[in-house]
Amino acid sequence: MEGIALILIGFFALVAFFSANAGMQVRQGLNPLTGLPGALLPPLLVMMVFAVFHYLLRALKLRSEQILFPVVCLLLIVGLVMIWRLRGPEGIWQQILRGLFPGLLAAAFLVAQPVWIERIRRRAVPIGILGLGLLILTGIFGSVDETGARLALKIGPLPAIQTSEPLKLILIIFLAWFIARQSKAAESRTSILFGRLRLPALGHLFLGVLSAGLAALSLVLMSDYGAVLILGCISITMLYAGFETRTFLDIIAIGLIMSLVMGLVLSVTWKIPAVIQYRFQAYQNPWSQEMMMVDGRSTGVTIAEGPGYQVQQAIYAVIAGGISGSGLGFGSPNYVPLAHSDFILAAVVEELGAGIGVAVLFLFAVLLLRIFRPIFRLPPGRVFDRLLLVGIGIHLFTQVFVMAGGTLNLLPVTGVTVPFLSLGGTALLTNLVEVGLVLALIRRQEDTNDHV
Amino acid sequence: MDWNLILFITKWATIGLFYAVLLLLLFGVYREMSQNPHKVTPVKPVPNGRLRVISAGDDGHLRQGSVLDISADNRLGADKDNDILLRDSYVSRRHARLRWDRANWWVEDLNSKNGTMVDRHRCTPGVPYPLTVGSILSIGDMSFELIDQDTGYADGASKTGCLTTGGRHSPDLDWVLCPGRLFFG
Repeated sequence: MEGIALILIGFFALVAFFSANAGMQVRQGLNPLTGLPGALLPPLLVMMVFAVFHYLLRALKLRSEQILFPVVCLLLIVGLVMIWRLRGPEGIWQQILRGLFPGLLAAAFLVAQPVWIERIRRRAVPIGILGLGLLILTGIFGSVDETGARLALKIGPLPAIQTSEPLKLILIIFLAWFIARQSKAAESRTSILFGRLRLPALGHLFLGVLSAGLAALSLVLMSDYGAVLILGCISITMLYAGFETRTFLDIIAIGLIMSLVMGLVLSVTWKIPAVIQYRFQAYQNPWSQEMMMVDGRSTGVTIAEGPGYQVQQAIYAVIAGGISGSGLGFGSPNYVPLAHSDFILAAVVEELGAGIGVAVLFLFAVLLLRIFRPIFRLPPGRVFDRLLLVGIGIHLFTQVFVMAGGTLNLLPVTGVTVPFLSLGGTALLTNLVEVGLVLALIRRQEDTNDHV
Repeated sequence: MDWNLILFITKWATIGLFYAVLLLLLFGVYREMSQNPHKVTPVKPVPNGRLRVISAGDDGHLRQGSVLDISADNRLGADKDNDILLRDSYVSRRHARLRWDRANWWVEDLNSKNGTMVDRHRCTPGVPYPLTVGSILSIGDMSFELIDQDTGYADGASKTGCLTTGGRHSPDLDWVLCPGRLFFG
């Protein structure tokens, strides 16, 4: 199953890279075969690495999961084609060498040594402290990008690390550990208010405040709204999943408490940040000729020229693509700012078509279900493992949801990367480590089933 | 060479190959779902099930992990005339009744003082509640897992205990409705 899928993916990669290369050369009036070896080298290399990983999974007898890895491979190939198309060899080698290879290596290590999940669980506190340290270091020494966010940390000669990406995984691990530790003790401590509304126990309340505080802290330190959104979604979902809940009132209570804390922090430190103000104006009408307002004052730039531009171009790209797309190399996704990272879905839809765009979202849905599937099969008592799976699934889901919505102006734009597609070494590395954790959990569960 | 034609072919080949992989993967998911162990227990005229002790409370006569044989109709409680004698101090004298109706196991609380719980759901006294393989039955401080007589262990799918025999909703939906049971079931 996995093998056949990988062979098909290999053919897909070769055809896609060939047609992308030919299309780009034809457009410049050159012979379509120019530069073909350089274009075919990355897919061949990547497919070889996929094959090695596949044989590793077979050697480790991971029988029950044949879908997850091919889905990830297909998404990676789509992302690599688009990155090669948009950023040339430089971009694709950066993606492969800084994200794909180390990520698959880490995933392979985790699958081969599932014991490390247990070790990670036992070291959740140091890992959490490490994350907090990274956050503070980035907040102080991080480099500022064009939107004013501090995300990247550059240490010595090493390439810059997007610290906010591993931070999300660290939050998942820490919350999973904390809730799992609390769960046994906290079960009987829910207090009942007004007959229906069951307030969470104090430990949970504290946890909600803690994660809201963490998100607020990263907001203050990093000014990155995408990261805050994802951290918030992860913590609220994991708290919800970790509770012994029967009604949605509980989660509303947690949400209210968390927003209260966030609101308090923000009202002390800040007004509504300017970025959010004008992004929301652009969300209401990207083509509006009204002035962009910050704190009620005009900035002298119309919304259509300012923050609306990116959304307009993304929508134009989607329209230009149509159902079957312009063909690789024949579209103009370069008009969309950040088409190679945040807005890669717009580029995919323009050049490969809405047909493949929908299929990509479908693949993400399959991926999410495959990540959640082991939850039903784990023996009782593995609260940490279940919560880890929930957190990882929600992390991937939120990223796709926010960016798919942002590309079509169904949601206000928030800059997050699309997992497995966007250019970004650290983000890809983190996502592949998460896939490795899922596969390792499945392998460990298979082992215990055999020994029953 | 007519490059327009070749590029047209490669464009559609890209789309076709992508969909081929997608359909293959969906077929894999479908095949796996059709041989899924999430099935309603087939009707078996003979009672099929045993109770494994998960927590023995302060009953010194039972050991954690030991397995109790049960018949088609069992009365559970602290009194000596019960079929299954539970000596835990939180168990009432006539606590609960566990019976087999030729298809499913049902547990009925007999107005006990501390109640009977199935997968952490408190049973209303006098109302039978269905048990499946893998369900956790809590009586006083003691808890038991209903296990399959033939295989000796609860199958992985129903271990979450969300699969009720009523079949009102699928287990895949159940985690949305009662996520807590995923983790504590």
